[in-house]
Amino acid sequence: MSADVMVRTRTRTVSAGTRRRPAKRKDPGRVLRLYIPLGLYLAFTLVPFYWMLVFALRPAGSTDPVPWPITFEHFETVWNDIGYAVFFKNSVIVGVWSLLFTTVIAVMGGYALARYRFRGRNLFMVVLLCTQFIPGAMMLIPLFSIFKSLGLINSLASLIIADTVFNLPLSIILMSGFISAVPFTVEEAAMVDGCTRLRGFLAIVLPQLRPGLIAVGSFAFIHTWNNFLFALMFVSKQDSFTIPVGLSYTIGEYSADFGALAAGGVVAALPVVCVFAVVQRYLVHGISAGAVKG
Amino acid sequence: MKLKVAGAALAVLAVAATGCGSDSGSDQGSGKTTITFWDNNGGTRTPIYQELIKRFEAANPSIHVEYVGIPISSVQQKYDTAIAGGDTPDVGGVTTSYLANLTGQQALEPADEWLAKSSVNGKLATSMLDSVRKTVPDGKLYLVPNTSNMDVVWYLKDKLQKAPDTWDEFFGSADELTKKPDEYGYTIRGGAGSIFQILAEMYSYSGISEFFDASGKSTVNDPKNVEFLTKMAGLYKKNTPEADVTNDFPKMVAQFGTGKIAMMHHNLGSYNDHVKAHGKDKIGAFALPTGPGGKRTIVANPVDGFAVFKNSEHKEAAWKFVEFLVSHDSNSYWNEQTGQIPANTDAQGDSWLQGLEHLKTAVETLNDPNTQVVSPPYYLPQFSSITKADTEPLFQKVLLGQMTPQEFLDTLAQKLTDAEAEWKKATGG
Amino acid sequence: MTTMRRRAVPYLLISPTVALIAAFLVYPIGSVAYYSLQHRNLTRPWADGFAGLDNFRRMLFEDELFWHSLGFTAKWVIVEVGLQLILGLALALIVNETFIGRGLARSLVFSPWAVSGVLTTGIWILLYTPSTGVLRFLGQPEAAVLGNPDTVFPAVVVAELWRGVPFFAILLLAGLQGIPGELYEAAAVDGAGRVKRFIHVTLPHLRDAIVLATLLRGVWEFNNVDLLYTLTGGGPAQETMTLPLYVAQRAVDSKDFGYGSALTMAGFVILLFCSILYLRLSRFGGDR
Repeated sequence: MSADVMVRTRTRTVSAGTRRRPAKRKDPGRVLRLYIPLGLYLAFTLVPFYWMLVFALRPAGSTDPVPWPITFEHFETVWNDIGYAVFFKNSVIVGVWSLLFTTVIAVMGGYALARYRFRGRNLFMVVLLCTQFIPGAMMLIPLFSIFKSLGLINSLASLIIADTVFNLPLSIILMSGFISAVPFTVEEAAMVDGCTRLRGFLAIVLPQLRPGLIAVGSFAFIHTWNNFLFALMFVSKQDSFTIPVGLSYTIGEYSADFGALAAGGVVAALPVVCVFAVVQRYLVHGISAGAVKG
Repeated sequence: MKLKVAGAALAVLAVAATGCGSDSGSDQGSGKTTITFWDNNGGTRTPIYQELIKRFEAANPSIHVEYVGIPISSVQQKYDTAIAGGDTPDVGGVTTSYLANLTGQQALEPADEWLAKSSVNGKLATSMLDSVRKTVPDGKLYLVPNTSNMDVVWYLKDKLQKAPDTWDEFFGSADELTKKPDEYGYTIRGGAGSIFQILAEMYSYSGISEFFDASGKSTVNDPKNVEFLTKMAGLYKKNTPEADVTNDFPKMVAQFGTGKIAMMHHNLGSYNDHVKAHGKDKIGAFALPTGPGGKRTIVANPVDGFAVFKNSEHKEAAWKFVEFLVSHDSNSYWNEQTGQIPANTDAQGDSWLQGLEHLKTAVETLNDPNTQVVSPPYYLPQFSSITKADTEPLFQKVLLGQMTPQEFLDTLAQKLTDAEAEWKKATGG
Repeated sequence: MTTMRRRAVPYLLISPTVALIAAFLVYPIGSVAYYSLQHRNLTRPWADGFAGLDNFRRMLFEDELFWHSLGFTAKWVIVEVGLQLILGLALALIVNETFIGRGLARSLVFSPWAVSGVLTTGIWILLYTPSTGVLRFLGQPEAAVLGNPDTVFPAVVVAELWRGVPFFAILLLAGLQGIPGELYEAAAVDGAGRVKRFIHVTLPHLRDAIVLATLLRGVWEFNNVDLLYTLTGGGPAQETMTLPLYVAQRAVDSKDFGYGSALTMAGFVILLFCSILYLRLSRFGGDR
């Protein structure tokens, strides 16, 4: 059925003209279809963020729904007293390296899954999934022993590796999906032109893979950035902790500093949200209109 | 084989990438000894330790103390992982509520020999030392007490004029101070940490002096305790907010912080939170009300202190640091900052303590010969899991009316009785 | 020679992954399997030793909470993944349209995805707790949504949706980019309306992306511990206890690692079975 439509539509493509999207036209349905749901969803997204900002910016003890007068006392607490400056740096290091390793290895593995029918492919896929079936908390002690025998306890390297290993399976599966969405004909054409497979991949497929790279890369980075358990368990050095550990300091028995929690939250979330805001545009501009026609 | 190599290769790459491997032993060139100290409540207490470590290092230039703050909610998991992985600190903050678990894993070094020769010998409160010794089967001192705590009811002075002496008065006040639509006389801890507080309340009401009777049966489901729990559960939603059923410490303190709740049961350790929310003058505290015949019964809080780990390679330096921490000045400083009871008896006499009303009351209550102290079975390695994971959800059922107080206490008692019997058999006691 | 080399290519490509899994995951997973056959409980060291199938017997025949948690897990996964898919797809379609301020809108609606579990929980606790929350500004000063067995489920579902919908939206939006615009125009020329175009062009193209995203998210929601653990702790009164939450409670809080491992293995088998079934039923990767 679907294939049917595709074939039909594809044959008509030639005659259907080249304009990708009709120019703006007045459409009352748009408000109903677009702006109202979007507005509602935006509210749902933003109220929690707003609430975090309120707690981060208003003085302790205040219960106003508006953070006024604004105070930065909570930020001073988390940055100076709790040591977020160091945690932040560590989080960036671990996040970036894990992102790089994960993405590169996932592109390799994903390409194999998407483009080759090799013996053991299904088994590989199942193994990848299986690694996700066991909560990390249950594997802490053996993982700890492995890192200890490699001499990596207390080193950010242990976090980079552990997070990469845990991010990989999902990343590969996701990446294989994105790679199979790029028509193989494109690559073939490149190879016919005399490119090696690798060059063909780098020159032709990779640019089209940008949405996938962004999705998988941000997935890896964000998971790593937010991983609390590994960060606390594999590191026993104050200046090697990451932001999630810092966040957990603010709430517990004998401390209920919601202002510091919220301020820490802003510090933890803001950079990621900002970076993501910049890169998310590549989620959609990945495929140039002409590429499909080869 | 090949796989291992590949894994190791990535490891090497990762180390190279971050430029920081494990750097144990980096201190050897300078002739400095580095010891690691794990704080079992990292965060709010971090600045206190940083100050103390600064003072210690100034006095002992050959020793460097590396501070590691562990979030309190994960501290047991961290210790368990570290012990299983063989990577424990030199000194760690430990409380008697999980001491039995750590000694059960043979992780700690006894302190008796050190204490006998130490300058703090004779300066540490005997009640706390006894409490620690009772926690382990061999009766040794595996933890050097730093501080203890006592259950109190915090109250807002502008709402409650006179602290109740008896539980009847307490229930009366709780009812009186409840004003529709959103003012409540009391708040029940229904979430994490609920069981310990309800135990403390029940025993102070019933005046029962032991957790187990002579035959080894738990006294938790004594009719007087059941009577109390029935009364207390009856307050839920009547004199307390509905949200109480999921109250853990932060939520409870946040509720109390709004000023709509007159009384809240916790311990001395939350003093700073209340001062932050209400100011020093508005906040008061009283010991849990008295039981039959005006007798005061207190359930002993866990003792918090420092332990030296068996695997430490620098035990001498470790003990030196512990000695420093529980010495008069340090112990005084620590407890003044946190508002708790110092273990060092010299520090107990310091002027700051006399200035803090709630703390003065607590010390007086504890030292009063008429006060009866009930010790919970911290020595049972299962005690913590029974009173947390096993029964906290059941207590919520009691509040929600899905389980009767009798059923709940019977279940709790049965678990404790079984654990006690099993432990006695296992330790040959 | 060249065919030999060509055949080796996929294996070469997956070798780093295989190496990493072999080096860092095989032993830990194996150890969980091993401990599921052992009595291992830090609070009862005297009883440690080989258990045979004892842990499983206890789980299947004596532990009501196991079955209860399993039922709740199913409900949780189905509701969460279903809602996340529907809302995520809707969101992806909306932000795929051209409109003024699209980039900003996109950044904003996707942003919760970048927020950690600890923090998501922290924020929602603030929102839901009557004393710190927003409900009192909506005229509900005393609504204790997390404490009331009737409202706790919707409350945690909403909190998880906040973070989960963007995940779907991002994956599906990326998937939408793979659909050549010509197809829509051709369909439009054919006289297909908006709905028809969605059913005949968009959905078939997104099928693999949807299958993947639901599967991964399903596994993820199944094993999602952080949100429920902190938000409700499985409460009130075990109302929101998922299997992995129960595992955490047994293995971490109660230190009964043997039994926790057995529970984990149960989750493992269930997930394995469901995943394979799901992939089969959805005929993933076929039809191409």
